[in-house]
Amino acid sequence: MNRGEFSFKRYRKYIIPLLLLAAVTEGAAIVCGATFEKLEDGLTKGIVFFRFMSPPDWPAFSEMLQPAFQSIMIAFLGTVFGTLLSIVFAMLASSNLAPGWVRNTARFLIGLERSIPEIVILLLLIAAFGLGPMPGIIALALGCIGMLGKLLADTIEELDPVMMDAMESVGANKMQIIVFGVLPQIMPNLISYSLFRLEINIRLSVILGAVGAGGIGYELDYSFNMLQYHRAFTALLVIIAMVFGTERLSYMLRKNIKMEGALK
Amino acid sequence: MNLDDITLPSKQYKRKVTIFSISAVVVSLACIYLNFNPIGFFTEFHFVRDLLGEMFPPNYQVLAENSSTGYAILQTLSMAFLGTVYGGIIAMILAFLAASNTMPYRVVRVIVQVVVSLVRVLPSLVVVLIFVIAVGPGAFAGMLTLVFATIGTFGKLFTEIIENSEKAPGEAIYSVGASRFQVIRYSIIPQVLPSFIASLLYALDVSIRAAIGLGIFGGGGIGFKLQLAEKVLHYRDVTAYVSIIIVLVILTEKLSDYLRRRILGEGRLR
Amino acid sequence: MIEVKGLTKSLPNGRKLLDDIGFKVKKGEFVGILGPSGAGKTLTLRCLNGLLKPDSGSVIVQDEHGQKHDICKINKKELRHVRQRIGVIFQGYHLVKRLSVLENVMIGRLGQISTLRSILYGFTDKEAEEALMALEKVKIAHMAESRTGNLSGGEMQRVAIARAIFQSPTLLLADEPISNLDPSNAKIIMKLIRPLSENIPVVGVFHQPEMTAKYCTRVIAIKDGKMIYDGDPKLSNKRLEEIYGEELGQLEQYEYNAPAPLVKEEIRLL
Repeated sequence: MNRGEFSFKRYRKYIIPLLLLAAVTEGAAIVCGATFEKLEDGLTKGIVFFRFMSPPDWPAFSEMLQPAFQSIMIAFLGTVFGTLLSIVFAMLASSNLAPGWVRNTARFLIGLERSIPEIVILLLLIAAFGLGPMPGIIALALGCIGMLGKLLADTIEELDPVMMDAMESVGANKMQIIVFGVLPQIMPNLISYSLFRLEINIRLSVILGAVGAGGIGYELDYSFNMLQYHRAFTALLVIIAMVFGTERLSYMLRKNIKMEGALK
Repeated sequence: MNLDDITLPSKQYKRKVTIFSISAVVVSLACIYLNFNPIGFFTEFHFVRDLLGEMFPPNYQVLAENSSTGYAILQTLSMAFLGTVYGGIIAMILAFLAASNTMPYRVVRVIVQVVVSLVRVLPSLVVVLIFVIAVGPGAFAGMLTLVFATIGTFGKLFTEIIENSEKAPGEAIYSVGASRFQVIRYSIIPQVLPSFIASLLYALDVSIRAAIGLGIFGGGGIGFKLQLAEKVLHYRDVTAYVSIIIVLVILTEKLSDYLRRRILGEGRLR
Repeated sequence: MIEVKGLTKSLPNGRKLLDDIGFKVKKGEFVGILGPSGAGKTLTLRCLNGLLKPDSGSVIVQDEHGQKHDICKINKKELRHVRQRIGVIFQGYHLVKRLSVLENVMIGRLGQISTLRSILYGFTDKEAEEALMALEKVKIAHMAESRTGNLSGGEMQRVAIARAIFQSPTLLLADEPISNLDPSNAKIIMKLIRPLSENIPVVGVFHQPEMTAKYCTRVIAIKDGKMIYDGDPKLSNKRLEEIYGEELGQLEQYEYNAPAPLVKEEIRLL
């Protein structure tokens, strides 16, 4: 091959994967019943619908505040209890704190929990305990374990083993080593991860609310089902404000933690 | 330094106790407000045990009965796949339009960033409800919702990745007289592509969980079947579905890991 | 005093990591253990405070009441009790970085405080006062409230010494306490450790024969798991080669050969 001659040869190895990709995409589209006509149709319907939904039902605003607060509280409690649970799991899932078989079992359970979407957990809890905030809080708390448990366990395993050896050498027992050595070192990570999880839990709280946990998710779903689309729009606006506000708050607090760690 | 200059442990203790008490009070108030009794979970545990009794052994007949379960699985997978692919492509395009080093016109950047933010802040619950009205219930609505969700999650991320790429190679290419597009093609794209692909594979993982959840709202797929079974109290079916879901999620995770290693591993050696 | 007898530890394949190590150290002595890397020095030290259990042998220490305990044979509870009075200084960073200097010193007495009290209440003001005095002894009291992670290596080792002092130990162990420090800091640390040996036995593992020659009262050399020297800290060159000899000899394999100069032809094509 001379220099200067253009050739598609170098792309040859992409042909088969790309064809495969195209085939799978097409197949998947058929399975979903996705067609462009439906999309066009739907988009126009969707836009019309949006215009139909506004203006939002302003008087209904005050009715939305209480459910919104409820959703926030559900997310808050879910995160608090979830964090506490995760700390326990994380310690059991760390090779430097727990014996091998305990550690592996704990890691397996954490991985298992990660595989189950929170909504599924909620459905099961509703089947057991009925509707209301309780299954919502428990579902969110259990949902934290997958993420926080793994992150914290990894953080704990990365701690300097010499530090723990030293504490053991002066006669401290396991509990003391955890309280005076492990916890202070993982504290900034813990807070940071929890705040991040809070953001996720607020969104989940809305979704879970629609399935039966109550709060503003339920209001939204209800309005939709009752064809009260203006009301739904109001609920939507409140939700957006909620999510956005939590994100900002969480971001600011987390930045504060980072700075505190760096400066002091 | 003497004793007066430091904070005595007794004072620290008092501070710790105060913080702890206030937190405990806040949490307790919240629990009371929501009528949530954490101890209730343990005292009322017999509900869980009863449920577990009804749920086992799982009824795997649902797989054999008719092909609808298999089809539902296929639907869920397809939803996740298409949502990730299309959402990812659109997110990438938007990211290039929103990044400061690829889009010189501030107006365009701002507009795109606002659009992406709007998409991101909409909870998927709302999106799926609207799409169900627009294109009817089923997997298509679910897929479109996932496209939206992927754009929302990854639009901003991709923009950051592009903006964080190194300038030096681009400047070098620019200085030999290349056009902006060529700079993008030869400097930025090779740098960001590995991160994009890694992100998309991760998105696949996330999407499959979301797909299951959306199914519950009329998005089709196995989530829908699960929810249906639960409503009619066919708990054995529910367990079967849950186990299928777990297998699905784990398999997707393994697949995404494997693909990431294949594609990116190759990339590095090239 | 501390008396070591017949310390032996082997690998499953038979290789002996420690081979019948034995010595006795009384109060007033500052013993330095030297030897090539991997000879078993650190292993020996870890056996001395129970972090490692040998296959056979005994390590007998006295607690504050003069009672004798064999570290290799006692149970956990007794071990904890004995460790209260054994001070340890490790190489490198073994303090809790996010806690204050004062808190790190007070951690030294965790073995002496009941678990319940330490966790629920913390430390008493009196303990803080005594910890401050320990910090004064190592001339670092002015940093009592600083976060330990912000200190330099030399300062951190001084805090470690203060922690040991705070324990009112009957024995002090040090594992390469100056290996991470620059020469002037190393001198400071040795100058701080030396006077402690007047009241209690001090045993330290070192890599610096010139330091042990100057500050220790006695030197023990371990090579390939065996004790090959026990006596005067000032080692002749011949002795040093005996101890470290093989290491120095092995270096000859790694001779540096300067590359051949480039020929003009080669430069053109580069």
